[in-house]
Amino acid sequence: MEDYFSYTAKLFNPDEANQKPEALKGIRVLDFSHVIFGPIAARLLADYGAEVIKLELPFYGDLWRPATYWGKYWKHSNPIWHNITKNKYFLSVNLQLKESKELIYKMAEKADVVIENFAPGTADAWKIGYDKISKINPKIIFLSCSTYGQFGPMRYFPGWDLLAQGASGVLTLNGYPDTDIYYKLPDYVGDFVPGNFGALSVLMALYHRKKTGKGQYIDMAQTEGLMRMLFNYTYHSVTKQAIGRTGNADPSMVPASIFKTADDKFLALACATAEQFKNFTSAMNMAQLADDKRFAETLERLKPENAQELTKIATDWVQTKSCADIVKLADERNFPAAEVADDYMIANEEWRRKRGSVILFKDEVYGDLVIAGPSAQLSGTPSRTKWLARPLGYHNRLVLKKFLELCEADIEKLEKKKVIGTFDDRPGLKPPVYYNLSEDPIYNYGKEVKK
Amino acid sequence: MSPKEEIYTRHAAKGGDRGKVLAEIMNAEGKPEVLDDVLVLDVSSANFAGIICASYLAEFGAEVIKIEPSKGDPARQITPFGVTVQGVGIPFMFEGRNKRYMTLDIKNSAEDRKLFAKLAQKAAVVIESFAPGEMDAWGIGYRQLSAANPGLVYIALSAYGQYTDKAKESAKMPDTDVTSQAGSGLPAQMGGTPDEPEPNNWPLRGGMWAGWYISGLSAALGGTVALIHRQNTGQGQMVDVAGMDAYSSMVGMPATIGFTWEKARPRIGVLDFILYPYGHWKCKDGFVAIAAPRDHDFRALLKVLGLWEQEDDWRYSSDRIPDILEQALHLHKIIEEKTILHTADELVAMALNYSKKSARSKWRGGGVPIVMKLMTPEEAMGNKQWQIRKAFQEVEDEKLGKYTISANFVKMSESPPRVKWVSSEIGKDNEYIRKKYLSD
Repeated sequence: MEDYFSYTAKLFNPDEANQKPEALKGIRVLDFSHVIFGPIAARLLADYGAEVIKLELPFYGDLWRPATYWGKYWKHSNPIWHNITKNKYFLSVNLQLKESKELIYKMAEKADVVIENFAPGTADAWKIGYDKISKINPKIIFLSCSTYGQFGPMRYFPGWDLLAQGASGVLTLNGYPDTDIYYKLPDYVGDFVPGNFGALSVLMALYHRKKTGKGQYIDMAQTEGLMRMLFNYTYHSVTKQAIGRTGNADPSMVPASIFKTADDKFLALACATAEQFKNFTSAMNMAQLADDKRFAETLERLKPENAQELTKIATDWVQTKSCADIVKLADERNFPAAEVADDYMIANEEWRRKRGSVILFKDEVYGDLVIAGPSAQLSGTPSRTKWLARPLGYHNRLVLKKFLELCEADIEKLEKKKVIGTFDDRPGLKPPVYYNLSEDPIYNYGKEVKK
Repeated sequence: MSPKEEIYTRHAAKGGDRGKVLAEIMNAEGKPEVLDDVLVLDVSSANFAGIICASYLAEFGAEVIKIEPSKGDPARQITPFGVTVQGVGIPFMFEGRNKRYMTLDIKNSAEDRKLFAKLAQKAAVVIESFAPGEMDAWGIGYRQLSAANPGLVYIALSAYGQYTDKAKESAKMPDTDVTSQAGSGLPAQMGGTPDEPEPNNWPLRGGMWAGWYISGLSAALGGTVALIHRQNTGQGQMVDVAGMDAYSSMVGMPATIGFTWEKARPRIGVLDFILYPYGHWKCKDGFVAIAAPRDHDFRALLKVLGLWEQEDDWRYSSDRIPDILEQALHLHKIIEEKTILHTADELVAMALNYSKKSARSKWRGGGVPIVMKLMTPEEAMGNKQWQIRKAFQEVEDEKLGKYTISANFVKMSESPPRVKWVSSEIGKDNEYIRKKYLSD
């Protein structure tokens, strides 16, 4: 039989991924959402082949377009925005005008999914909510994303990832015991995780619609998404106690923490089972610990006094070894260990590039950019990147001509009435200065362009 | 008035069907289940990413069989401080949703492997977390199972994935939450600033299972994409989730920032890399979270807190990006001097009153400074919002008694997820499964 890893290398070959079928081909999504929570749900659908049309206001655009880390732009764009909104069609219409609504209604006739994350009730007030859209297209799947949900006394409270972390209890779990400092989970993970839940529920609704022909309304509250990830509630209902903050130590496994190595690197090391613990003790040349009655059984080992003792032993041992030595030992002896990876390591480690979990993407407009690959690799219908984010209104012509069958004269009329528009001079909205849009066949879709 | 009537009345007032839609969306009972035609076999071992993925599918209606040896999945003992109810750990109880339990020792018994392969012929999904290649060596990997059942969606969870040289080299390294968090870049972004004393300036673990929950969610998402493809074409496939990808692939920022900036971000304590103010502050009776990052939100916050004299300070009116740490920390202190004077409830009311006024003003744009009381998970359980939305559910296990879980994580009008029962007993459904799936 062929070696397993040579079999899987062919099965998942990243070079062939773009030729494989797309699971969501033919699904059309209208993305009214902004910032991260809604857009990430829409992007995940686009990654698997859906046509996602993102709507933004002319000359203003998504609030997050200019929001980059420490104000650092890349080719006049926000580098992290490329990950959040790749693979989408960028249409810019002025929602205040009647003509814009008509365009939206016309698109809704043939759409499968609508995603929005305005404050609850806003989409309905603007007549682009489920009430209106479901009358145009009863089979529509309509995802409303918000921080606290569409109903309940807190529904009108605006929110960000921070507030969802604060309201669910996530934020108070990060930090060291007996201090008054909490840390929020970084990088807006409180938007990304619920965005994934939102995409999951849309996929479920698509599966259901295929069987029954019925569309539906979905109310995804970001706080409830985070709550689904905390067993702290159950712990409290059983023990009447709180797990609280435990610093770097995971109280569910021992040892399980982040340690400092002899070469001043940081290393996570954990033993989830008796078997892993045994492997770890043999790697330390302390096999006797695996027979010690305080440590041999998992539940004994987890008792706070024993856990403390063992964590100290592990801390002392890790201090005598280099990080690379321990990781090598972990590979050989089969216990979990990993160096704490930072941005630079993640961007550059060879195995991630080979796996496709980090990709050097070659984009037509922006050139080379390293972006994250999918968090699940599919052998049959893989997630893929087709293009990065685009300037505001970049796909106006393409969307209106291809999907709404308008002609150039119609579009010029809409431009004149300011129903549709593009970018102004702000970074994050405009194209790179070196890029000549007048020669771009997609921006000028359906028009003659000189190359 | 019943809660349902109340929601109806409240939301119907503005006309349209919104009142009806929202009143109907509150309940799951009696509605169809999406995955009622899907059989899932979960043979994951000592890996909660697998268990979590199986739970999501079970909540959407799949028949999920948790398969474990007669001693039980070691995951049963992965629990905070060793707390169990009759030997079952808290996380296992929390995830014991709508599942069937069967004992098979596929690791050691050739006969049990045969039974597993027979079950897998009828399954839509298999979830496993053994070392990559191990199931294959036992003759029950994706390669063999898909030959007999081409529609099979096979979800494999591991530390480094199923392919590449690195995956082969580290195949036997197990996947856990803290190593997944560390290897995929979360702790590097969390913790005190470099000048703080050790260990406060070290990378910090997220205090919940950010690694395992992200992997579990990614597996469920990838698996559902595969189920849609199967529904359309009859074709199955393999879904490969690596714990060392979890965080970085979910949020995307580490890879792109590491490339464009050509170095790693430092840790900046309680500050944020993009937004300010965006964090939490001490108040008289605890902490409040404050988000007022847009200029008009920030100005509104200054007014609310009585700090308007700061408005014409150029450092804060036009440049609040915390790339100059001292400047941001200084502003942090200025704000704290005011928040400490009030209780959380007072601060929330002050901000809310301002926001209401600015929403009513004909000039709009007056800013929406958001202030919320920072809650522990235990406090959140008592919040009326979540009671009305049924975000928490009291459940009863036949053997383990009553306990509370967070459930109903998304509300759907036609086919919502739901928790029908909880159970954890090893081998509880052996008979049921034999009769239903193995009698022919």
